Amino acid sequence: MLQTIDAGRSPGRPFKRGVKAPVPVNVAASVSNALLALGLAAGITMAALGSARGEAHSAPAVSPPATVSSPLTVVPSLASLKTTRPNDMRSGALLVRREDGELVEATRLGTDYDITVSGPTARARITQMFHNPAATHVEAVYVYPLPEGAAVDSLKMIIGERVVVGSIKERSEAKAVFEQAKAEGKKAALVEQERPNIFTNSVANIGPGETVVVQIEYQEPIRRSDAEYALRLPLVVAPRYNPKPLVQTVELGAGGWGSAVDDPVPDRARIEPGYLDPREAAPTNPVTIRVRLAAGFPLGEVTSRYHAVKTEETGETSRVVTLDTGAVPADRDFELTWKPAASKAPAVGLFRETVAGSEYVLAFVTPPLLSNETTERRPREMILVIDNSGSMGGTSMAQAKASLAFALQRLKQGDRFNVIRFNHTMEMLFPAPVSVDRSNMARAMAFVGALQANGGTEMLPALEAALVDNAGSDSGHLRQVVFLTDGAIGNEHQLLESIAAKRGRSRIFTVGIGSAPNSYLMNRAAELGRGTFTHIGAVSEVEERMRALFEKLEAPVVTGLAASFGDNAVDATPGLLPDLHKGEPLVVAAKLARPGGTLEIKGTIGDQPWIVTLALANAAEGKGLSKLWARRKIADAEVAKTLRTLTPAEADKAILALALEHELVSRLTSLVAVDQEVSRAPGQPLVRSDIPLNLPAGWDFDKVFGPRLLQQPREIRADRLPGPQQDARAEGKLMPTATRLAAALPAHPRPHVVTQGVNQPVPLPATATDAELRLLAGLALLLGALTLAALGRLPTALPKH
Amino acid sequence: MRGPAPRTFDRASPDMTALRFRRPSARIALAALLLAGGLILCGQGLYIHAKALLAQFLLERAFSASLATGFPTKPWSWADSTPVARIAVPRLGASVIALSGASGQALAFGPGHVPRTPEPGDAGTSVYAAHRDTHFAFLRDVQAGDVIEITRADNATHRFRVTHTSVAAWDASGLDPDAPGFHLVLATCWPFEARTAGPLRYLVHATAMAE
Repeated sequence: MLQTIDAGRSPGRPFKRGVKAPVPVNVAASVSNALLALGLAAGITMAALGSARGEAHSAPAVSPPATVSSPLTVVPSLASLKTTRPNDMRSGALLVRREDGELVEATRLGTDYDITVSGPTARARITQMFHNPAATHVEAVYVYPLPEGAAVDSLKMIIGERVVVGSIKERSEAKAVFEQAKAEGKKAALVEQERPNIFTNSVANIGPGETVVVQIEYQEPIRRSDAEYALRLPLVVAPRYNPKPLVQTVELGAGGWGSAVDDPVPDRARIEPGYLDPREAAPTNPVTIRVRLAAGFPLGEVTSRYHAVKTEETGETSRVVTLDTGAVPADRDFELTWKPAASKAPAVGLFRETVAGSEYVLAFVTPPLLSNETTERRPREMILVIDNSGSMGGTSMAQAKASLAFALQRLKQGDRFNVIRFNHTMEMLFPAPVSVDRSNMARAMAFVGALQANGGTEMLPALEAALVDNAGSDSGHLRQVVFLTDGAIGNEHQLLESIAAKRGRSRIFTVGIGSAPNSYLMNRAAELGRGTFTHIGAVSEVEERMRALFEKLEAPVVTGLAASFGDNAVDATPGLLPDLHKGEPLVVAAKLARPGGTLEIKGTIGDQPWIVTLALANAAEGKGLSKLWARRKIADAEVAKTLRTLTPAEADKAILALALEHELVSRLTSLVAVDQEVSRAPGQPLVRSDIPLNLPAGWDFDKVFGPRLLQQPREIRADRLPGPQQDARAEGKLMPTATRLAAALPAHPRPHVVTQGVNQPVPLPATATDAELRLLAGLALLLGALTLAALGRLPTALPKH
Repeated sequence: MRGPAPRTFDRASPDMTALRFRRPSARIALAALLLAGGLILCGQGLYIHAKALLAQFLLERAFSASLATGFPTKPWSWADSTPVARIAVPRLGASVIALSGASGQALAFGPGHVPRTPEPGDAGTSVYAAHRDTHFAFLRDVQAGDVIEITRADNATHRFRVTHTSVAAWDASGLDPDAPGFHLVLATCWPFEARTAGPLRYLVHATAMAE
C-alpha cells in the first residue's frame, strides 16, 4: 500500500532541489492510518474503501453496501462524454461540467473519522484523502462541517512518506503563505473557519494522478441531556439560503454620490459549494467512522440513530463502534448516544488538567428535579414558527408538520397561541395570539396540514414577528417561541443579533429538523433566547423528542445561576451562566491560578434556592480541557459581540489572542502547512476543483435549486438588472422590483458549475502582433542583402590598386 | 528568427581574400535570397497593419448596417464573427469596431469581446481585448477621467468614465465578470514598446456614468 501512495507522487519531480523532508512526526502511524482508512488505490472506489478497513492484505471480498452501489457517478448521457476519451473513463469517474461546457473529472475525496471519547470530551482525528484523477494540477477545495464546539488545533499534510505539520497563523497571513506556496508550485494545505460549524480545506498543487492526505484534529465536549450523552458528527454542509442584499454597490458617479454596501452574507461565495443531483449522480464522498468510547461509567444502551453500526464491547465502561457497512456517503449527520447502566446518570462530573503551568477545570452539574406537582403550572403564550422553505422539502417537512401538530395538542385551556409559517414570504395564522379553543385549534391544524415546502428562507421577518410581545411583562403568561427549521441559511449573524436585541421576556426553543441541520445557529439562538435546542432527524423521533421538549417547556426553570471558586483567581466560561431547563447540566470551564479549592454553584429552581459545593481536589484527570476552555472563551467573545457588550474590535482582539495562544482555528486564525518541494513547474496550469457535495439525505433537489426547466444559462440576480436602470436603483426606486425578482427565484442558484479555473479572473487573450517583429527582421535581411551586394563590389575593386 | 547577416560577411573579417575565390553568381543568389526574405517579412508586417485597417473599414460599414437594419451583418462574406460594438474615446478621436469572441483570428480584425463577461452596460465587468500596436494602440494615451462610449449592436449607447489603469498577468487579471456594479475593462498587451509577446496586460478600468 505504501508503494501505491509513493507512485502517486508527482512524476519526475523536475524541480527536486534535494531539500530535506521535514522531520517525520508519527509518519508510520498517520500514513498507515490514512491508507487503511481510505483504501488508497489509483482508482479508489467505495468497495475498496469498505474492505480496506479490515486486513490490508486480504482480498476485497466485501461488496459495497446497496445504498452506494456505484462508487461515484458517471454522467449519464454518452453524447456529453465526447470531450473526454472513453478510455479515460474508469468505472468510478465523476465528471462535472465546467462553465465553458467542458467535462472534467472531479477531484475525489475519502474521509476517515477516528474519534476517542474519554469521559466528558472527545478527541477526533479526521483524515481527508484528496485524489486528483484529472490530467492537470488542481487546487482542491472542500467545504465541510464540524461540530460547532470543535476546537481544531492540528493540521498535518501527508505526501507519500513525508508529513508536513501545519502551524497556526492569523487568517490573512496564513492565506498569504498558502497563496505564495501555491504560486511557487509547492503543495500546501489551508484550514479556514467560515462559520463555527463550517470549515474549508484548500489543498494546492495536487499533481495528475496524485493523492494528498490532509489530517486535522479537534477536541469537543460531549453533550448531555437528561440521562443521555450524545456525540454528534455532521458529515455534510447543507445548501444554505443566502438572502440577497437589497442595496448593491454603486460606484461613485460624477456628482460624488454613491451608496453603501449591505450584504447580509458577505462571504456567500465561500459557503456555496456545488451539489450533486441525487437522481443523476450516485452518492459520493465516502466516509468511514470509528468511535472508541470510554464513558467513565458502566454503559447501558449505545445507539446510533442514523447509521447501521457494529458495537464491540471492550469493557464494562468502553465500546468500539464502527460503521456496519464499511463506508457511507457523507449525506447526513452521524449521532451516537449512550446511557449509563444505572437508572440514574451521575449528577456531577468534575475534571481537571494542568497545561503550561495553568490549572483547567471542567465541571458538569445537573440540578435536581422538582416534581411537577409541587409547582403550579403557569399559563403560556406559545408562538409556533414553522419553516416551509424549499430546503425543508421531502422528509423534513413531514417531520416539522408532525412536530407542530404534537405541540398544538399539548396546549391547554388558558394558554394562548399563534402559528407563523415562512419561506421567502411569511404568514401569521392569527393577527395576535388567540386562546385555545376548538375552532382556533381546528384552523391551526388545517393551516399546518396544508403547508407545502417551497421557495427561499427569509427567516428574519418570521423571527421578529414571533418576538413581538403585545402583552408585555405584566401578563401572567410565560412567553415561549418554538422555532422549527433546518437552519439552512447563511446570514446567521443577522438572526442572532435580532434575537439579542429583541428577545425581551420571550424564550426561544429551537427544533432542528432533517438529516443535516445547522446546529450552530440553533444552539446559539437557543442560548441567546434562553431556551434549548432539540434535534429531530427522523419522523419516528418526533414524538419522543417533542415530548422531552414539552417536559422542559412545562417544568420550572433554574435561574439566577452563579459559580464561584472562592479566593482562587479564576477565568471562568461561560461568562454569563445560562438558565437551565429540565435535565440539562450546567457546564462550566475555568482556568485557575492554582489547583485545589472549591467550586460553589448557586441558583433558584422555580422559586426555591439551590446550592451545591464541589471540592476541586477530587477532580478526575481530563484531556484537552484547556482547548475546550479556550474555544468556549472564543464563543463567549462572539456572543459578547452579538450582545454588544464588547465592541467588534475588542472581541476580535480577545479571540485572536486566545486562538493564537491555544493554537486553535477560529474566525481570525487558520492552520497552514507548506511542503518544501516544488511539484508543479512554472507555467504548468493549475485548476481549481471544488469537491462536489451530496445533497443531505431526504432533501428534494428541485425544491432547493428550482426545477430544471427554469434553469437559466446564467444565474439571474437582483443586481443583474439592465444597465439603463442602474441610477434609478441607486436611489432605491427599483428596490421592490429587485426584491420581488429575488423572491421569485429558486432558493439557490443551480449548482451547474462545480469545477472552474482557479484563475477565475477573466483570462485575457494574447494581444500582441508580430507585425513589428516581422518588419524588423525583414529590414535586417534587406540590410544583409545590401551589405552582401556592397561586399561583392569590394573584392573586384581591390586588384586595381 | 533569422539573425542579421552571417559572420562570414563581417567587414572586420581578416579572411576577406577568401571571398575572391567565390563565384559572383553564388553571392548574387544569396543576396537575392536575403532580399526576397526581407521583402516577404516586411510585407507580412505591413499586411498585418493593412488587414487591421481594412477590416476596421469593412467592420464600420457592417456595423452601421447592423444598427440600421437591426440584423447582424457580416463584414465580408466569409467572416465567421459579426461586429458587436463600437468603442470610442472622443477625446482621442479613437473609434474601433469590436467583434464577438477574442480568438487570435478575430483579434487581427478588431477588438474582441472576451467570452464569459457581460455586455457593457449590463451588471458585472465587461472586458474587451485588442492588439497593442493596432486597434488598442490608443490605450497608452487614455487617462483617468476620459470618457469611453460603447455603442452596442442593439443601438444602446453606454458611457463609461475611466477610473484607473493597471498592469496584470494574463492569468491573474483579478477581473471578476460578476463583480457588483457596471464596469468596463479594455485590455491589451504591455509594455507597449515590447516587440515580443509577454505575459503582462495593460488594463484600462472604467465604470458606468450615471446619466
